[in-house]
Amino acid sequence: MSFKAGFGLSALAAGALFSVGTAHAQEKVTLEYWVYSDFAQGEALKLQQSFIDEFEAKHPGLTINIAGKGDDDLLTGQIAGAASGSGPDVFMNSTSAGASLVQAGALKNIYAEWMAMPDSFRAQFNKDLIAMCTPKPETMYCIPYTGYGSLMFRNLTVLEQAGVDTKAPIKDWADWLSQMEKVKAAGKYGVPDMTQNWASFLNIYSGVAEASEWGADFETKKTLINPEKYAKTAEFFQKLKPFSTGTNINDQATRDLFISNELAFYINGPWVNPPLEQAAKASGLKYDWVMVPGATEGKKAGVQGYEFIGVAPKANSKLAFEFAAFVTEKQQMTRWAAALGRYNSNVESLADPSVSSNPLLAATYESAKTALYNKPPFFLGTFPNSYWSAITDNASAVADGDMKPDEAASELIEQLNEILADG
Amino acid sequence: MSTTVTPAATLSSASASIASRRSVSIATILKWLVAICVAIVAVFPIWWMFNVVFSHPGVPISINPRLYPTSLSAGLNNILTIFTETDYLRAYYVSVMYTLLTIIGILLFSSMAAFEFAQFQFPGKNLLFGIVMISLMVPKAVTIIPTYLLTVQLGWLNTMQGLVVPGLASAFGLFMLIQFMKSIPAEMIEAARLDGANHFQIYWHVAIPLSKNALITLAILTFMSTWGNYIWPLIVAPSPTMYTVGQVVGLFNAPYSHTTVDIVMTANLLAAVPPLIFFLIFQRQIVEGIAHSGTKG
Amino acid sequence: MSSRTTRSIAHYLMLSPFMLLFAVFFLYPIVSGLFYSFFEWNASQTSHFVGLANYTKVFTSRNFEKATWNLLIYVSITVPLGIFVALSLALLVDSFSGFWAKFFRSAFFIPVVMPLFLAATIWRWIYAPNFGLLNTILGWFGMPSVQFLNDTGTMLYAMIAVDVWVSAGFNMVIILAGLKNVPRHYYEAARLDGASTFQQVVHVTLPSIRPVLFFVITYGLISALQVFDVPWLLTGSSFAEYGGRANALLFPVMDMMGRGFGSVRFGQASAYGFMLTILIVCVTAVMFALRKKFGDA
Repeated sequence: MSFKAGFGLSALAAGALFSVGTAHAQEKVTLEYWVYSDFAQGEALKLQQSFIDEFEAKHPGLTINIAGKGDDDLLTGQIAGAASGSGPDVFMNSTSAGASLVQAGALKNIYAEWMAMPDSFRAQFNKDLIAMCTPKPETMYCIPYTGYGSLMFRNLTVLEQAGVDTKAPIKDWADWLSQMEKVKAAGKYGVPDMTQNWASFLNIYSGVAEASEWGADFETKKTLINPEKYAKTAEFFQKLKPFSTGTNINDQATRDLFISNELAFYINGPWVNPPLEQAAKASGLKYDWVMVPGATEGKKAGVQGYEFIGVAPKANSKLAFEFAAFVTEKQQMTRWAAALGRYNSNVESLADPSVSSNPLLAATYESAKTALYNKPPFFLGTFPNSYWSAITDNASAVADGDMKPDEAASELIEQLNEILADG
Repeated sequence: MSTTVTPAATLSSASASIASRRSVSIATILKWLVAICVAIVAVFPIWWMFNVVFSHPGVPISINPRLYPTSLSAGLNNILTIFTETDYLRAYYVSVMYTLLTIIGILLFSSMAAFEFAQFQFPGKNLLFGIVMISLMVPKAVTIIPTYLLTVQLGWLNTMQGLVVPGLASAFGLFMLIQFMKSIPAEMIEAARLDGANHFQIYWHVAIPLSKNALITLAILTFMSTWGNYIWPLIVAPSPTMYTVGQVVGLFNAPYSHTTVDIVMTANLLAAVPPLIFFLIFQRQIVEGIAHSGTKG
Repeated sequence: MSSRTTRSIAHYLMLSPFMLLFAVFFLYPIVSGLFYSFFEWNASQTSHFVGLANYTKVFTSRNFEKATWNLLIYVSITVPLGIFVALSLALLVDSFSGFWAKFFRSAFFIPVVMPLFLAATIWRWIYAPNFGLLNTILGWFGMPSVQFLNDTGTMLYAMIAVDVWVSAGFNMVIILAGLKNVPRHYYEAARLDGASTFQQVVHVTLPSIRPVLFFVITYGLISALQVFDVPWLLTGSSFAEYGGRANALLFPVMDMMGRGFGSVRFGQASAYGFMLTILIVCVTAVMFALRKKFGDA
């Protein structure tokens, strides 16, 4: 705590130099509420703003400011904010950033507040996600909020040109590859480069692996990746290589190729749907979405991830928690899901007829039933960044033919364990 | 011509002049060719971005490489979308104020200090200069977190002074101005002193006019680094009411942003317009500055 | 004696605004950063003294080695190449006069005016595999598509190209300002002595602009050692994803920022920053020593 004293002193000196007044009126309370940028744009913003208005109406004198941030900016701002006590009061982020935020001291333990809520409220949420937010007994860092499950978007124009029967479901990887052969023969691309990004890697790996074979054990500092399954995945990457655009799934170029009928398959989260929808209107893009194919018939693949809403350990944390509980409550989440077709963690809201009829949401829901979690375990330990790049680098090397799949697998496991041990 | 009797000397000189004229013309062509090629390489990417914005939507970049603009209305539509869907105008205001105040502050404070360092001897000069120069070598990223924490302690989060003041002590600007001000002849300063000018007057009436070129250069460099500064506004002005243009563009450039390439490029292009305007205005000033110092020197 | 004292006071008065800001927003953060580097520091949790552990941890890490190696190759190419291009452009512009001199100067300078995030967005498109602009051009000549930003053999060079594109205009303007100050009669004298254009450059121009070149080279070195923005924007540009494939574009400042904001290890990040600072101080000291040895101009 010696740092804080140091800062106090310097602030005193600096304050004397610049004579800054810090008096504030006490009765008025302002909460800063940070969300992902897409929550603070267009339709989503209107809805969030009406949640805020309703909550403010119940709490006179309260003002809530919503601020949208790009993915990385959200985390950077929260960590920097936690370091100085000036961050947001209530905010969302991905559960995969949870451990970093806990480590940075950005998240308050809300276990007592949560337990004080009525059972009828607590029962609304997905049990697995509540468990995720509660990494240790009596330690709860968040309320589960929104989420996603990955989908495979198909460009129907490309597939029809290639002579692929789009009605028949893709059975397995072999079937998928044979469709891509046809796509390639028609002069189009099959898939983006799936080895470039951890999420696209996982979309393929999940085609062979089970949930227990992904992520890491922070107690023993060992990766949970199964080397044989990894080798199978790597072998499949080699087969995908000839059909690849060479671009990352998140590149703008990849989306442009899909929209322009140059790319057949595009695996990503449901958030890519709005620009595709827009393209359907503007340029007649014909597309649909299906489950991500697994290696064998009946094996489902895919990635799911969740966002949580958390409260900072600051003066107004009680009110901030109330607000967090308010927006995640069934009524609000039902309106959210119905208006935007976006998935969330409030199971009761998803069962609402106004929601379950939305096709995108239904597909996301279906995908999330079997998909692997993005970066588990959550809230327990932070993965060094090199952990994820080691995986994608290794997969790329195999796809390029620089390494044999089984050699690469054992090398990767060794490397990942080394990275985890280094901390 | 060959039949006339001419002294050998004249002949050889004439042929030399023809040869040199020919070589000059080849060099000139080459010079123009290189200059035009480099100009294309320098300008093309920006031209291309402009074309992406002003093109029919739906035609993919992979098919139409956007070598020229095709649709004015599509571009205007894109721009309208940006202005209606984001607070771009307010971001312009914040960025312009942030940039202007930073330029004024840096030019004033750096030139005052540079004047002293470049022209005078006083106790402690070498020590102070050494410390400032060492700071030039400290990566900005090293100080960003402590500076941020200090700014927060001052209560300057989400304020203009929080954006501007911590960036005013520019060791780079100081270093650059010292290099230029060293060339001011000491006699001019001595002459001004003999004319009865006080210390500040010498700085203001002698050193500043003579350093006009350097100051303009520093102003434009400061403009660019401030306008393009991303990480500092990001952490010190997190509230949307204080978003700079860079932050708004960042929302569009994020991998999960829900927009197509033409909208992303529109957001980027709009961020490039003020620097371009600033630059075009600055062009005339630097020419005047050169002429001005030319007559004085 | 007393007049000297008052004169000293005037010097300090002129210096004080800069030095005050400098002390508060530069020195203090640096000193506190140094302080953090000896602590295991997680922002809000109680921190404890760990001695040199942060330093040894950084020093022995695999990424540090990779980043340092990348930096070495990068600096040894980009600095000479960048200066060479800038000097060539400056001489090229200087050889024109009137409108065209202004025109080419403006054209070559335009990339500098663009915010970096924008330049990077455009270049990612130009470098795109298969259908990117550059690969399309290569395709015309029957060459296979190159994964400029995802092939460990080309990534660094692709980045250096962007780097030079972005910064050549900056150095060109500074060198041009130096060229304007070379007295014209020096050239006339050299021409009367029969010096060729190339000889004029080597024997008249270069020696005359030595202080400017020194500035450009030193500053180029210092900023190259701190390289961050361009490789960051050309790779994942996120704290979860940076450095590119096999960390081919991982550089020390990036690695440091990643440890700070990505992994919340501010102690390590601070230690990293100081090791880098020491390196930069040493390099700059060598530069100044060289200048002393070869005489000041």
